[in-house]
Amino acid sequence: MTFDCKDLERALAIPELLPDAREHAKVCDACRRELWLWNEMSTVAPGLREEWETPELWPKIRQTLAAQQKAAKRYSFNKRFDWRLLTGIAAALAIAVSVFIVTYSRPSATPAAAQDSDFLTEQTLKEVEQTEAAYRASIDKLSRLVQPKLNVSENPDAVAAREKLMVLDAEIVNVRSTVAHNKFNAQLQAGLAVLYRDKQDTLKEILQHAQSSQ
Amino acid sequence: MAAGRLTARSDADLIEASKRGDLSAFEEIYAAHAGRMKSIAFHLLADRADAEDAVQEAFLKIYRAAGAIQFDSGLAPWIYRILLNCCYDTGRKRKRQAESPLPAEPPAIPHNVPLQLAIRTALGRIHPQYRTVFWLFEVEGFRHSEVAAILEIPEGTSKKWLFEAKRELKRLLTECRA
Repeated sequence: MTFDCKDLERALAIPELLPDAREHAKVCDACRRELWLWNEMSTVAPGLREEWETPELWPKIRQTLAAQQKAAKRYSFNKRFDWRLLTGIAAALAIAVSVFIVTYSRPSATPAAAQDSDFLTEQTLKEVEQTEAAYRASIDKLSRLVQPKLNVSENPDAVAAREKLMVLDAEIVNVRSTVAHNKFNAQLQAGLAVLYRDKQDTLKEILQHAQSSQ
Repeated sequence: MAAGRLTARSDADLIEASKRGDLSAFEEIYAAHAGRMKSIAFHLLADRADAEDAVQEAFLKIYRAAGAIQFDSGLAPWIYRILLNCCYDTGRKRKRQAESPLPAEPPAIPHNVPLQLAIRTALGRIHPQYRTVFWLFEVEGFRHSEVAAILEIPEGTSKKWLFEAKRELKRLLTECRA
């Protein structure tokens, strides 16, 4: 093939023709310059790369991602739990804690009694358990009376009462399981009693409300 | 490819770990790609602060979208595709925010300057698609298969656009040096 200046462009597009172009460039200044420029563009191009230090960039990205992770966890927590339910649990716990503080901040009758304030004797425990069982049976009975009225009503008060009972029941189950592992802890027993009392009062209110609206 | 390039296997491992919330794994991906990403973003946006913003935005998107990545063509093309989109978004935002419109006409290529500087200026005068392929292939060192995956074009098109880019550059450089 006879290579001509006008073939140069085609040779640049088709690598197989480049050896012929190089041969031709040996005797043609114009094509030699063009060929040189063509190759030189590729040679100097990597030098166009821009590099600079940004030590603050990753910490910024990491901080944003960590915040997003935290927010995502909070969102999934919010999705799993009804905040009203949690507020109810918190309220119930707050009441229980308040009662403990009031009950146990009173001065003890004797120093010896004070030493045993947190731990009941076997006999007292038996009494507490019997009382609790009887109390629980009474509340369950009251609950069975109230439940049909509560379940059918879509009245906001009834809905709120249902939710409150759910919270209390959940908390009672929780505290009872703790008590089962630590039967002699008077504070836990008192806390359980407070929750039962709260449940009883709630049931009573629902019953009174139902009777008055009939 | 750059020395910091990761293998497909370790890319997959790092992405899996990142999906589980492992930020140190994600930092490895950052370390391997951030330098080149900044360079590409700077080339497209011509401003370091904007380039850093685009890279940051790209990494946040990469992290969020890590669950959806397909490893058919590797991690890198996917990362750089996200980066290019972030750069285009940043560019659009900057145009809207600019008090006066950006000059439409790129600067003329100065005479008697080093070839590198002349190429940089000439690049501003060629078709943006050709320019991007030139930059990715010649400056950043991607292969045609990678350029094609990043830009979602056939490999043949990548080769054609590179040729067109170089032909245009050659013409401009020859004119300014004549």
